[in-house]
Amino acid sequence: MVAGDQSDPADVLIIGAGPGGYVAALRAAQLGRSVTLVEAARVGGVCLNEGCIPSKQLARFAAVKATATDLAGSGMPAFSGPPDMVAFQKSRAAAVSALVGGVESLLKSAKVTVIAGDARFVGQTRVCVQTGEDAVRFFDFKDVVIATGSQPIPWAGAPFDGERVVEASRALEFDRVPASMLIVGDDYIAVELAVAWARLGSRVTLAAPNERLLPELDADLSAAALRGAKLAGVNVLLDTRPDDPGDQELVVVSMRRRARLDGLDLAAAGISKPSLAFEVDPQMRIARHVFAIGDVTRGYGLAHTAMMQGRVVGDVLGGKLGAFDSRAIPVAVFAAPEIASVGSSQGVVGRFPLAALGRAVIEAKATSGFAKLVFDGDDGPLIGAHLAGPRSTDLIAEMALAIEMGATAEDLALTVHAHPTFAEALMEAAEVSLGRPIHVRPPRGSAN
Amino acid sequence: MARFEFKLPDIGEGLADAEVAKWLVKVGDRVVEDQPVLEMMTDKAAVEIPAPGAGVVVEQRVAEGEVVKIGAVLYVLETEGSIRGMQEQVAEPKQAEAPAPQAAPQSEAGVLTPREIIDFAGTPVLAPPAVRKLARELGVDLAQVRGSGPGGRISAEDVKRHTSAPAPAPVVATGERTPLRGVRRRMAETMAESARSIAHVTGFHELDAGAFQTVYRRLRDDAEAAGRRFPFDALLVRAAAIALERHPIFNSSLDDERMELVMHPQANVGVATATPGGLIVPVVADAGARSLDDLAAEVDRLAAAAREGRASVADLRGGTFTISNTGAWRGAHGTSLIRPPEVALVAFGRIEEKAVVRDGQVVARPVMPMSVTFDHRVIDGEQGLSFALTIRGLIQEPEQLL
Repeated sequence: MVAGDQSDPADVLIIGAGPGGYVAALRAAQLGRSVTLVEAARVGGVCLNEGCIPSKQLARFAAVKATATDLAGSGMPAFSGPPDMVAFQKSRAAAVSALVGGVESLLKSAKVTVIAGDARFVGQTRVCVQTGEDAVRFFDFKDVVIATGSQPIPWAGAPFDGERVVEASRALEFDRVPASMLIVGDDYIAVELAVAWARLGSRVTLAAPNERLLPELDADLSAAALRGAKLAGVNVLLDTRPDDPGDQELVVVSMRRRARLDGLDLAAAGISKPSLAFEVDPQMRIARHVFAIGDVTRGYGLAHTAMMQGRVVGDVLGGKLGAFDSRAIPVAVFAAPEIASVGSSQGVVGRFPLAALGRAVIEAKATSGFAKLVFDGDDGPLIGAHLAGPRSTDLIAEMALAIEMGATAEDLALTVHAHPTFAEALMEAAEVSLGRPIHVRPPRGSAN
Repeated sequence: MARFEFKLPDIGEGLADAEVAKWLVKVGDRVVEDQPVLEMMTDKAAVEIPAPGAGVVVEQRVAEGEVVKIGAVLYVLETEGSIRGMQEQVAEPKQAEAPAPQAAPQSEAGVLTPREIIDFAGTPVLAPPAVRKLARELGVDLAQVRGSGPGGRISAEDVKRHTSAPAPAPVVATGERTPLRGVRRRMAETMAESARSIAHVTGFHELDAGAFQTVYRRLRDDAEAAGRRFPFDALLVRAAAIALERHPIFNSSLDDERMELVMHPQANVGVATATPGGLIVPVVADAGARSLDDLAAEVDRLAAAAREGRASVADLRGGTFTISNTGAWRGAHGTSLIRPPEVALVAFGRIEEKAVVRDGQVVARPVMPMSVTFDHRVIDGEQGLSFALTIRGLIQEPEQLL
């Protein structure tokens, strides 16, 4: 086909089928819009195909090995030999395919039209999709959602070459355990990869450009991440910006990500390209009929944020009064220990050490963790929670709900938590903030 | 080529925000200097916002119906040269051919910390997500709702109680839905506020308008002979202004927060005016101090401006009392809603010949229906009747108006 040829109408056109785009598509379709979803790679985006999901498979695989090693002293037979990474990769790919297939079938039953190809704007209301080497299709949209995600920022020391210097997603695909590995970065991706590959037997050096790991999170969590990484055998170099890869077998770079907007030709639609990411209103709008969600917008670049924004956009497109007004956006780090955080660090703090928790003692290695809750004043609601220890990434959900609901320390302290579980730490930390803990000594000078 | 972010200028009267009523150009349209680009709706006046210079509107940052603050960016204008008094937008970084390897900043300005993420949500009103959603749907500003829960936590009940509107009916899929905007939205808000907060009482009266008509026709003909106009409403405003002087309580407001009565030093009489866009009420400032000619000229100017959608913010502000002449629309008797924070309103109906008894004889006389509506929180029944009798006297013996 030639440019200018006939075009198809697209009531709603969504560019990018990652966690933001496909959720927006499903919700808008639920509400009666006719949706065309354009994806250059695979449905599910980075998250499902080469990010969140496969990295958690790797983390679990490594954690099981670490747990078995821990239990070797308690009678569990020790592993012999290195793990079979070829078999692991096969099962990893199968699980990803199953999940991608699940999303595809949801889209199909919702009658969302999925078009494979690269999209670019060619007019106010028109998009051209490169569906093959010589094939293009044009779509005239009423509303468009930009959900093209993000891409890694390269490292000054050496450009990505796809073999020795790779981005984080490639580091999930190794079919053997590299003898040595340099990981450049200090974000959750870098920390997760360092811990997983160290646990699997690689000699991992983590070169962190900042003075602490996870610099956006509460400082206590940074300390816990550092302790945990070292315990897992990672050689952590803080405040370090290596100039070159040295003699490392592999270099993995995770230096944050930036909005993926190249090639979209936003100017053709009269949209100015932001220097970093789009500023959006609570309805995720950048112009009357143009929306942006997920990593292309300002924020922390998290799949669950994108998914919520996708639901908001779907609601708005369906004529509902949707708005992104979440107060609590949790961050989950699947390292050693698991780390999770939501909200503020400043306020009245209640901190409970896992060493005083029965369940944590059962899993002896867990006793260095903690639950740190932050309240807005003595009688005020919960405004932050910072957890280090097993299941933290699940427990943070209770904290996010508590913030959204405006729960106070009393509310949390008076809620029965099952025994013996890690969740008890949340109730205990609330009691600490009230100055009347049961399982640790009350702080000096506090009321009895 | 230069790009300018056009921000909502201060459009006067200390307004903090305004509503985008209508875009007058599309993205990609070329505009010349002073060409109206969009229409903003302030309290009740539509204001056209002209382009600061020639160029192409490359981006619209706000949507119709959106309420934006002074200083908010409305649109981006791409121009050939510079525009006086405007700062050029920071140039967009050129799209790199290949990503530069040194492009890894140590701390990205675009990355929000978790602290900022929580702030991003706006004012921290203590309300769960489902209640916030309900408030959005009912158009309730949670900052205005008093929470009944511990620590002021707002419940769904609190939100429903805040609005007198019944719980929303299930959304029906059929029927065209049109967003209520501009003047019509303000009308909806003001009238609902009136019905909710004011204790309305209305008294009905029938006035002999024979002499009044004679006086009016004379004034009208004299004015026309002099090349001017004398609107009917000007005489009604005159009557109201005189009555307000004699009954100052009708020219007051109730500060219900502090339970204090505020007496206004001058009578600013609003004239309810139907326009294609909806009801608006231009105000004759200090009506009591004006000469009859001055009053006529001002009423005439305001009516024309209102009908043509040119009324300025100043024309619509500061009212202390309202008259409504429904006669022009063949209205007879009817009740009215008072405009808060005013405490009374008088409505005049159409003058028609009616059989009345005069000196024991049934005769045909021109009769004007009148209703006086007052806020019973402030004005009692006797005061209400007394005010009505004053107006009746002024209309029936119209020499007093001259």
